[in-house]
Amino acid sequence: MTDLSSLTAADIRDGIAAKEFSAREVADAAFARVEALEPQVRAFNQLTPELAEKAANRIDAMVAAGEKLPPLAGVPAGIKDNMNLVGTRTTCSSRILADYQSAYDCTAVRRLLDAGALPVGKCNLDEFAFGSSTENSAFGPTRNPWDLERVPGGSSGGSAACVAAGMATVSLGSDTGGSIRQPGALTGTVAMKPTYGRVSRYGCVAFASSLDQIGPFTRSVRDSALVLNAIAGKDDMDATSVTQSVPDFTAGLDDGVKGLRVGIVRDMLELEGLAPEIKASVEAAAARFAALGAEVDDVDIPAARHGLSAYYIIGPAEASSNLARFDGIRYGHRVDDASDVLDLYMRSRAEGFGPESIRRIMLGTYVLSAGYYDAYYGQAQKARTLIIEDFAKAFESYDVLLTPTTPEVAFKIGEKSTDPLAMYLSDVFTIPLNLAGLPGVSMPCGFSRGLPVGLQLIGRHFDEATMLRAAAALEADLALDMTPATVRSLKA
Amino acid sequence: MAKDRLTEVLERYEAVIGLEIHTELTSLNSKMFCGCPVEFGGEPNTRVCPVCLGMPGALPVPNEAAVEATVLAGLAVNCDIALWSQFHRKQYFYPDMPKDYQISQYDLPFCSGGYLDVEVEGDAVCERVDRSGDDEYTTRIGVTRIHLEEDTGKMVHVGGSEGRIAGAEKSLVDFNRAGTPLMELVTEPDIRTPEEARRFAQKLRLIIVTLGVSDCSMEEGSMRVDGNVSVRLRGQTELGTKSEIKNMNSFKALHDALAFEIVRQADMLDAGEQVVQETRHWDVGAKRTSSLRSKEEAHDYRYFPEPDMVPFAFTEQWVQSIADRLPELPDAMRERFMATWDLQKYDATVLTSDLAMAEFYEAAIAQAGAGRAKTVANVMINDLSAHLNAAGITMDESAVKPAMVAELVGLVDDGAISGKQAKAVFSEMVETGEMPSAIVEARGMKQVSDTGAIEAVVDAVLAANPDEVASYKEGKTSLVGWFVGQVMREMRGQGNPQVVNQVLKDKLGG
Repeated sequence: MTDLSSLTAADIRDGIAAKEFSAREVADAAFARVEALEPQVRAFNQLTPELAEKAANRIDAMVAAGEKLPPLAGVPAGIKDNMNLVGTRTTCSSRILADYQSAYDCTAVRRLLDAGALPVGKCNLDEFAFGSSTENSAFGPTRNPWDLERVPGGSSGGSAACVAAGMATVSLGSDTGGSIRQPGALTGTVAMKPTYGRVSRYGCVAFASSLDQIGPFTRSVRDSALVLNAIAGKDDMDATSVTQSVPDFTAGLDDGVKGLRVGIVRDMLELEGLAPEIKASVEAAAARFAALGAEVDDVDIPAARHGLSAYYIIGPAEASSNLARFDGIRYGHRVDDASDVLDLYMRSRAEGFGPESIRRIMLGTYVLSAGYYDAYYGQAQKARTLIIEDFAKAFESYDVLLTPTTPEVAFKIGEKSTDPLAMYLSDVFTIPLNLAGLPGVSMPCGFSRGLPVGLQLIGRHFDEATMLRAAAALEADLALDMTPATVRSLKA
Repeated sequence: MAKDRLTEVLERYEAVIGLEIHTELTSLNSKMFCGCPVEFGGEPNTRVCPVCLGMPGALPVPNEAAVEATVLAGLAVNCDIALWSQFHRKQYFYPDMPKDYQISQYDLPFCSGGYLDVEVEGDAVCERVDRSGDDEYTTRIGVTRIHLEEDTGKMVHVGGSEGRIAGAEKSLVDFNRAGTPLMELVTEPDIRTPEEARRFAQKLRLIIVTLGVSDCSMEEGSMRVDGNVSVRLRGQTELGTKSEIKNMNSFKALHDALAFEIVRQADMLDAGEQVVQETRHWDVGAKRTSSLRSKEEAHDYRYFPEPDMVPFAFTEQWVQSIADRLPELPDAMRERFMATWDLQKYDATVLTSDLAMAEFYEAAIAQAGAGRAKTVANVMINDLSAHLNAAGITMDESAVKPAMVAELVGLVDDGAISGKQAKAVFSEMVETGEMPSAIVEARGMKQVSDTGAIEAVVDAVLAANPDEVASYKEGKTSLVGWFVGQVMREMRGQGNPQVVNQVLKDKLGG
């Protein structure tokens, strides 16, 4: 019998359409996998079997009625728990929203479900997406299905882990500085941050509005394109979503890379602190691109070295503002014995937010304060402009750029949790794309000590198609088996 | 406070006043950043959605009509329109503000560098001691900027006295108003007297109402005027310490509060004290201002560009397309009334001081004919205005319609009724909303102009009063009025006075 939990989204839809299996059976398989692995992995804050069952029944009714199935029909999907879906809590893995019931639907989630996906549950994250390990969750860490002693990355760690472990076929994450791509690399999944403005942010609890973007985790490049097809496009509820036409991202995926100009971002590859095995894997992948007919050469993005510092000013500045609304007045955690409104604010927030959230709120409040604005926020915006210009220059000569996704493979739980600066370095290669608004996809390119290594492909603004075509070519060429240890042990 | 106290102070001190005027764009269909309707009052928290409640993940989308309305207002007060502008976040915590920041504008407002010319005439001139010899004067008030922002919700304090927060058991918030488009205009400190401040605010209100973007109700708070005021000895160039006055809920309150504050500050300086920079609250009952908060409590608003929206890039053509939508503004309308209908400046000013009044006038002239422009104006300025004032109602609420005034003026002009009868018809028209012709008919008020009928009555009156006839003939011609009265009494007031006069003079051998 087919292992429904290992299929791709495209296979699931086609199998249901061909009546090889039902959507209900796909849902049951997903929840059976959840039952087997969730107690160790802890990818979900909330499971939604009733919602999944309802959605599966709807698909099966369509099959029975002979209707044409939507592109993600019957595909089990995880949803990062910072996206609203009516009938679920949206907690952001924070005490301050622990009991918060979604009041409306996030546009991207709505579009995913309208395309036929089955919601498995809401995925764990670093509180308010602040982190790179999912250890900053108020509800406990998620573990990496490749090694349960290690982190899955973050902040979208739950979304990455559930797809890697086969508890969902696809999932949605959000990426502000690498929160999709970094956990993608650490869990051996395909993890894409689309161009800023490509996918509506409406309904995704904002971390940093000018950097946030929703994107998919999948186990294949084609599935990544399928999910992007479903969620992309202008939304009247998000003024920063763009009217740019949305192509079929699956078209041309198999066209290969002959003549494609691939730039290896050399100054990132030479960065001190990059693990040698990762550097070797990325070099090897570059060689494969050349072997496949691409024109591969080195390029520098010198301003990218300012990315991390600019990001840790702009990100917290916007976050400090976006998180002001969690004040205990209209919803969320509130102390019940406040003496006045200031006391209510201060204690509700102090009790509701975890340490990393408080750190970022304080950082952001500080850099926007009178007298400091120009020195911090103003300078960071200048650095941002330089980064945008350097990428634009590189894209005059190259169609896609290539970097490692992370400096290291998955690290142990607790290893960096007391050293914020070491943790922040996890996103050194991913952050510059958010600052420039560029699309990026992380995909597995090898292993280091049995753990997945990810590389990052970067496309031009709104040219996810070329980026995904390159990814598909490498994926087919490498043909890696990305089944994690926990899943292998189930099958054994 | 007696005006002469203010005038006395202003002889020695010069007041420097700037205004900040918030106007809710009440005529728009939806709020500033969401689709909720804009309406005053209503069941609390019924006109709300995830966006204007600041729910997690909700995003603002700018209301283009509000941006256009602001640019329109900017053009109407001679502002430059920025081709590049954007929203900023103004950050502070308060329960009536759902996101704990207000989306506003900071260094890149839509409009800047405009002005309005304000006229002061009559008794009001006396506040401007350097102009006291003039009958009237015009002064130009600079408009620093106009920007757009969102309004807050409203707090209701329960259990205390008079809804004040002090002593209240709890506070409730109504977010119906939250997110209402709010236009803020800031003037230069060009205003020198409370009267100029009042005239500026009145003129701005008239312009905004004419633009059709707000009802500008100071009572309901859709137009809110705050004043910054300081005083300095005449001849002194540096500015004095200012205070900011809030809660001036009518034009009279605006004038009186500023007048009080000028005198208060002058008295302090006279006593050798220092004015404190602070925000003060006008208490209309006590007729005084009191301290609300001092500058030490001022916030650091941590303004930064609103990242949920892209900046606005306008073209000259777009600005021109908005300019093309500007309706005729009050000043131009007044000039036109004077030129077209040959009205005096005073009459034209009164008729164009209220859009409903001006529209009423033009509708009445359309029916009465241009030849009766002056008489229609008289009826409106004298009778109709008096009626509206006495009844405390607006033009729209009155039963009187333009067709009625036109017909009434026509009846008098054609000699069908006398001016005196017209007053009676007007009074009844106000009550019943009946057309004047119907009232005249029903009351049998038809004026008798038939010479034969009048001659018969005149003959009878002369025959009955031989002594008076004799006196008249001896030269006491002033008796003609008395004879007219007698004839009119016999005719129960329905005789045409001109015909009666003529017949009498003929019979008496005038």
